[in-house]
Amino acid sequence: MSRLADALPRRVDVPLLFSAVALSAAGLAMVVSTTSGTARGGLGGRQALFLLAGVVAASFFALFDYRLLLRASPALFLVSLLPLVWLPVFGPTIAGAKSWIRLFGGFQVQPSELARIATVLLLAWILENDDRPYLSTRTVAALVGVVALPIGLILLQPDLGVALTYVPFLLAALYLGGLRPRVWAGLVLAGSLAAGASWFVLKDYQKDRIRTFLDPDLAARGAGYQVRQARIAIGSGGIAGKGWKEGTQSRLGFLPVRHSDFIFAALAEERGFVGVAAVIGLYGLYLARGFGVARDARDRGGSMLVLLVVLNVAAQAAANVAMNVGVLPTTGITLPFVSYGGSSIIATWAMTGLVLSVAQRRFVNV
Amino acid sequence: MPSSAREDRRPLLRRIDRLAVASFSVLTLLLGIYWVHQVLRGDDYARQAENNRQRSVPINASRGFILDRNGKLLAENEPSFTLLLYRRETRDVEASLRFVAELLGRPLEELRRRVERTRGGYDFVPVVLDDDLSIAEVGAVEAHALEHPELVVQTTERRVYTQGTVLAHLLGYLGEASPEQLASRAGRVRSGESIGQRGIEAAYQDLLSGTSGLRTFVIDSFGREVAELDRIDPLPGNTLVLNVDLDLQRIADDYFRDKVGSAVALDPRTGEILALVSAPAFDPNVFSRRVTRAEWQAIIGNEDRPMQNRAIQNVFSPGSVWKAFVAYAALTNGISASETTFCPGFATFYGRRFRCHGAHGTVDLPRALQVSCDVWFYNAGRRLGVDALAEAARTFGFGRPTGVDLASEKAGNVPSTAWSQSVRKHPWYPGETISVAIGQGPLLVSALQTARAFSALANEDGALPVPHLFRIGEHVRSGARVAYRPPVTERVPFPPGVRETIVEGLWRVVNQPGGTAFRYRAEGLDACGKTGTVQVVAQKQAKMTHQLPEKLRDHAWFAAFAPREDARIVVVVFVENGMHGSSAAAPLAMRLIEAHLRPGSVPIPEPPAAPLPEATPPGGTTTAERGATPPATRTGA
Repeated sequence: MSRLADALPRRVDVPLLFSAVALSAAGLAMVVSTTSGTARGGLGGRQALFLLAGVVAASFFALFDYRLLLRASPALFLVSLLPLVWLPVFGPTIAGAKSWIRLFGGFQVQPSELARIATVLLLAWILENDDRPYLSTRTVAALVGVVALPIGLILLQPDLGVALTYVPFLLAALYLGGLRPRVWAGLVLAGSLAAGASWFVLKDYQKDRIRTFLDPDLAARGAGYQVRQARIAIGSGGIAGKGWKEGTQSRLGFLPVRHSDFIFAALAEERGFVGVAAVIGLYGLYLARGFGVARDARDRGGSMLVLLVVLNVAAQAAANVAMNVGVLPTTGITLPFVSYGGSSIIATWAMTGLVLSVAQRRFVNV
Repeated sequence: MPSSAREDRRPLLRRIDRLAVASFSVLTLLLGIYWVHQVLRGDDYARQAENNRQRSVPINASRGFILDRNGKLLAENEPSFTLLLYRRETRDVEASLRFVAELLGRPLEELRRRVERTRGGYDFVPVVLDDDLSIAEVGAVEAHALEHPELVVQTTERRVYTQGTVLAHLLGYLGEASPEQLASRAGRVRSGESIGQRGIEAAYQDLLSGTSGLRTFVIDSFGREVAELDRIDPLPGNTLVLNVDLDLQRIADDYFRDKVGSAVALDPRTGEILALVSAPAFDPNVFSRRVTRAEWQAIIGNEDRPMQNRAIQNVFSPGSVWKAFVAYAALTNGISASETTFCPGFATFYGRRFRCHGAHGTVDLPRALQVSCDVWFYNAGRRLGVDALAEAARTFGFGRPTGVDLASEKAGNVPSTAWSQSVRKHPWYPGETISVAIGQGPLLVSALQTARAFSALANEDGALPVPHLFRIGEHVRSGARVAYRPPVTERVPFPPGVRETIVEGLWRVVNQPGGTAFRYRAEGLDACGKTGTVQVVAQKQAKMTHQLPEKLRDHAWFAAFAPREDARIVVVVFVENGMHGSSAAAPLAMRLIEAHLRPGSVPIPEPPAAPLPEATPPGGTTTAERGATPPATRTGA
């Protein structure tokens, strides 16, 4: 009996896989509900296809020994950056940004999502090679550089939402690697300054979003309209929700980008607080299992890899959930596993595959 | 490869623990926020979501039809088609406008203006591009419904006045409610709604308008209707039956085709208005659409003021028609009917010479009425004094509105010594009384007041009924009827023989040789009447009135009732600059009397074809201009 066939069924982390599958299923149901019967036609079939591709990618990464990937990560990282360099210059403009590469069959791929996999591997690899209690200056510089590079390239597209999803990587990496308190203080100060300076480079619509976030009454019909409508959708769902495909806010189009950025508001409307609690609980489970796998990982690189992945997924999820209810400003951050979108689904599943790969190769009963 | 076994994992595990605490705190916090919105405030948001998706739109009720006393249709409704542009349905409004301009041949500039005017409003509220599409144009637009979903044809109802200009002043017209009208009819009229302006349409707005219905439907975020939730059907307005006899109205309208003035026909017993014409008139159908600038200019630029209802809004000196009431003042103040005066063609009072239009020799009262001798009345007036004349005038209803069911009625003026002191701030000159005695001077009356006063002479009991157009309002569904309820009728007190003496004089005017209207008598009608001529320029300059420019010529009056006993009709005709009361005004009065007393004996003129005007030409105007102030009322002798 080969080792592979022997290992797979027993070593799979069932709760983690379950949370990912359940979230994907909930997402698929909501994509169907928010897009079927509308002018643009149902997107459920495509989402199912993306999920299938995601599961295939996850299986590939789960079976692959992550140590090989960690060692190859500098090269993978550089390769993954190539399309990001190419895009701002030659890429087609779709929906106001050069974020996409067109593929056959009407499919498009978003390289910034796929670069996430290489980035997480490289960060884990860097962290593995600095296992002192506190990170050396060189490592810190390397970590900042590895995250800043894709962020910079993605901002050129420009796609603020995706760029922001790289920030938790850096914070998590620095925290996990270990920084002295005064270095943290310096970073916080530098970060604040950068945030202040960024006001001058933000586009008008981005400034509008921040303004309306700070004062929702400012523009009840303008940018604040979306936030208000999303909150009405969420609140009107009540405890039990209006039922699948029964959400008036979402079905009648009051809810903006309801199959993507605001899919959680649509879910909250149709599934109520019960559905909200279930989905947040599933992310909790995913995160909890991630922490568990990280604790049991057989090496520092594996731990780091798992932590970076689950923290990234959880941070995105929390940011999206908060944004839907208007607690954070509207940035194009999607809900991992749930929002419609091939590249995001495939990247998230692929990273989950990395977690499963680490989980399979942990110390327990080796 | 660093050996994981040798690595100190404790710092990492500690950090994982802290991260776990932080992460689950964040998730719990988020869950709490959703709890607040969904569970604690859920009902409030549910209401907001309902308001979001529901719209209620009133359904206009069909306005009640208006019929004449014989059931002939005067005002009805017809479908009208409005072209709406839903801006949110199109990416390129300009392209849609160009399409409409080309398809329907409308000026692009005008369409752009209409869109421009609504800028700043919600873009799910449609723009009215055109409110008067023809059936063919409706077809053309609907044939392109797939390419241009932003263009929608809405069917509404438009008021149609079947008789065109014939009943213009009587019926009034519809127009968008002004801010004042909205305020005074709060709750009954919506902003933008068309309501009756003037005439019967205004006076009986509440009876005619019916009750709006309400449609509640689900909309999407574009304001598009998705499904209907509820529908309350409107209640159509009442059908109104008027006292007007369309045949008499047409005869009068036809007579005034080339004249300026007014005519009123009443049933003296009840005050029912059989005909009421003011010339020139306007076409009330014009106001059922948006009035174009050219049309409005044509109306307000006409110096004959077609918007004015001359029968109730223009007051003039009554001229010799007034002598009938001076006769009443004389007979009730001690002057005998048989007292005679010698008329040498003039009389001198207070050192001034007053002319008569002939030398009538020795005349008594009936003769003085018959030949309209001024000298007899000069003398009577001098003896009576202006206050006695004023009292008689007020007894017959002059100096105050008649109470007719039309708005903006003028009271006229009855001069007296008190009036002179309080209004003119100087004493009354006795010489003025001489002028007032023959119906000149500051005495001002309307045609309707005169008709009402003649009713008191026509009625044996001296009844002075309130003239009214309204006969019956009938509810279309239930058939319930609202009939006219007359107020307590005033009476002119006639001492024995007084009325008979005056009527004898008025009868002779028409029926005896020498009577000023003898030429226009009709056999067997037994009409009684009085002619009147009102000087526009002073007598000295007016020797050859027919040579004067038309605007300076005398005005002509004729007031009559028939038959002498149990009169059934009173007619007053006033022709501005018509020169002589007998020749200009009497023929119409006699024709109306004959048509009423002998139905079928007078040919009824066909109404002029009321041309429904073409579609809005360039420079079409707005409701703001439609609501402009009506021209000021002109008064004076």
